[in-house]
Amino acid sequence: MSLRVPNGAEALCNHTPHHVPAGRQLGRVRTNAPLGSLVWLTVDVPGWRSAKPGQFALLQSEPSRCFLARALSVADEVGERVSFLIAPVGEGTRELCELAPGAGVWVLGPLGNGFDTEHIGGSGGFPATCAPTSSSSRGRLLIVAGGVGMAPFPLLLSRVGDHAAVASSGGAPAETSACRLSEVVVLLGFRDAPQAQGAAKVVEAISRLREAGVSCRFALAVEDGSNGPAERVTDLLARELLPGDRLFVCGPAAMAASVWRTSCLVADVRTWFSLEAGMACGVGSCHGCALTLADGSMARVCHDGPVFAGESVFGLLTAAAHPADGGEEKS
Amino acid sequence: MSIPTVVPFAADMSVHLGPLRLEHPLINASGTMDIFELAETLGADILRHPPVAAYVPKTVTLRPRAGNPPPRILETVGGMINAIGLSSEGLQAFVAGQLPGLLALPCPLILSIGGFALQEYVALATGLRQALDASSPRWIDRIGLEVNISCPNVHSGCASIGSEPGETNEVVAAVREVWPGLLVAKLTPNVTDIRIIAQAAVAGGADVIAAVNTFKGLVIDRETLKPYLGNVVGGLSGPAIKPLALRAVYELFAAVEVPIIGMGGVASMQDVLDFMACGARVVAVGCAGLTDPWRADSLASGLSQALATRGMGLDELVGVAHSYAI
Repeated sequence: MSLRVPNGAEALCNHTPHHVPAGRQLGRVRTNAPLGSLVWLTVDVPGWRSAKPGQFALLQSEPSRCFLARALSVADEVGERVSFLIAPVGEGTRELCELAPGAGVWVLGPLGNGFDTEHIGGSGGFPATCAPTSSSSRGRLLIVAGGVGMAPFPLLLSRVGDHAAVASSGGAPAETSACRLSEVVVLLGFRDAPQAQGAAKVVEAISRLREAGVSCRFALAVEDGSNGPAERVTDLLARELLPGDRLFVCGPAAMAASVWRTSCLVADVRTWFSLEAGMACGVGSCHGCALTLADGSMARVCHDGPVFAGESVFGLLTAAAHPADGGEEKS
Repeated sequence: MSIPTVVPFAADMSVHLGPLRLEHPLINASGTMDIFELAETLGADILRHPPVAAYVPKTVTLRPRAGNPPPRILETVGGMINAIGLSSEGLQAFVAGQLPGLLALPCPLILSIGGFALQEYVALATGLRQALDASSPRWIDRIGLEVNISCPNVHSGCASIGSEPGETNEVVAAVREVWPGLLVAKLTPNVTDIRIIAQAAVAGGADVIAAVNTFKGLVIDRETLKPYLGNVVGGLSGPAIKPLALRAVYELFAAVEVPIIGMGGVASMQDVLDFMACGARVVAVGCAGLTDPWRADSLASGLSQALATRGMGLDELVGVAHSYAI
C-alpha cells in the first residue's frame, strides 16, 4: 500500500470544469533566482490582469504537500510574466522557493486593494484627501520595508517612474503640478546580510526611477552590523522623517508598530501599511484573515486590505500620549 | 471577459432534495464560499454560472456578530483549522442586502441559520419566510433552509444544541412549524452517536440531514507554546477528516430514511464517489473550495465521467457501499 499525501489539487488536473472559469490559473515558473536567503520567482500566468502595487496573489505549487495556497505580494510584472519575492519560512513557501523553471504553480490574483498610487507623478503622488500640508517636505514619499516586506516595492517604484514619464511628457494636468512628488526615499531594514541581498531588485527599480527623472534616495540598515552600524530601519526613519511625509510601509508586525509610533512624533505625517495574516480564500469568503481595527471592528486583510491607513490599524496617538520609539522592540 | 463554455454532462446528473432540483450533486458547504465576493474579484460570470448546483450562503444569525478574535485559521496536516465564530451581518441586513442578489442566482439556494436559543432559530426562519413570501410565490420550489446546530466555535447555542437529542428535536420542530419549505439539519460530529441526533432531527421534521460540520481541535503556536487560535478551540476540516466524516455518513444512511448531504474533507473526485457510496445523495465541498472556487463544478464533471466509465447511474451509486456490509 502506498502512502499518499492528501493533495486537493489533483482533482483539477484530471477533469475539465463544467464551465471554463476565470479564476486561478496554472502558471509555469519561468525563472527561479536566489537572492541571498530570498528567492525571486518569475511565473508566466495565462490571463494575468495587471496588478496595482501592493496587491497580492495566492500561490500553490502543483503538486503540493500543502492544503492552502500562500499569499504573496506582486513584486513586479511585465504583461503575463509575474514576479514574487519569497522568503522560505514554512513548508508552503519552501515548496515555492524550490520550484524549477517549467514547474507548475497555481496563481489566483491579483487580489486585495493595494497602495493608492493613482495620482503619483501627476498630482504629487497622493489623492486629494491626503495632499501634503507642510511646505517643508512637500510631496515626499517614504517607502519603509523590513526583510521580505520589500516585496511590493519594485512594482510600486516602477509605476511611480511610469507616471513621472507620462507627467514629464505633458500628461499631467497643469492645476495639479503645485503638489508634485518632490522625492522618493526608500528605507530598507534587514536581519542579516543574506536577507539584504534581496534588496537587489529594489535597487534596480530605484535606478530605473532615477532614469525616469524622479529624485530617489536609498538607505539600508542591517541589524547584525554587516553593513555599517548595527541598526534598524526605524532608526533610519527617525533620522529621515519630516513633517508632511507620506509613508508606504511593509514588514514584520513589530516593525510596523514601531514605524507607526515614530510617525506619530512628527506633524502631518500619513502612513499606509501593507499587513499580513494567515489566509485561506484570499477573496473575502472565509473571514479567516480577520484583523481587529483600532475602533474594535473587524476587517478582512484579504478583502479590506492588505493596505490599511495607519490610524485605522493603530488608532490615533499623539506625541504626548506615547513615548518616543524605544529600544524594546523584539523584531 | 470570457464567455463560459458549457460542457454537457454525459448523462442526466440531476438530483432532488425535496422540491429542489439540483443540476448535479455537488454544492458548497456553508461559510466556505461567498459568491458575491468572488464575483467582485473575479468577474460576474460566476453569478450567471455558479460552480455549485445549489448555493449555500454563510450562516446568518439574528443579530450582527463580529465573530471570534484573530487569529482564526491555520493550515494543519491535510487540512486546516478555523475558529471564525459565526461572524454575520445579522438577519435584517442579510434580508435587505444579500437576499435580492441570492434570489437572482440561477440555481437553488439553501439558506443557513444559526442561533443561541430556540427562539432565535424561530425568529430567523420566520423572518426569512416573510421576506421570501413577499418576493416570490413559488420560492418553495427553489429555496431550502439549513438549521446549523453544529458550529463548534461559539460558546453557547448552535453545536451545544446539536449535541443533545432533546434540544435538537425541539429546535427542528419549532422551525418546522414556521418554515414550509425544505428543512435541512446540519449536524456536528462532536457527539457520542450522531445517529441519535439525526433521528431526533428527523422526528422533529427535518427533510434532509447534512453531515458533518468540523471536528473540534486545537493547535499550538510553535513560538509561544500557547493555543494559536484566538478562540483557543477551532474546527478541523480538510482531507484529514474525510475517513471520520465517511464513517458518520455511512452510519447515518442506515439510521435515517431522509436524504443525506455528505461533507467533510471532499477535495477529489474519488472523495465524491466515496461519500455517495456511503449514502450521500448530495456532496458538499468545503475548504477545498477556498483555494479553488470552481472545485465543485470540476468534481461534477469528474463524477459524470466516472459514472459513464463504470456504466453506473447516480441512483445505483448512492449507498452502494452498504451492499457489501457483513
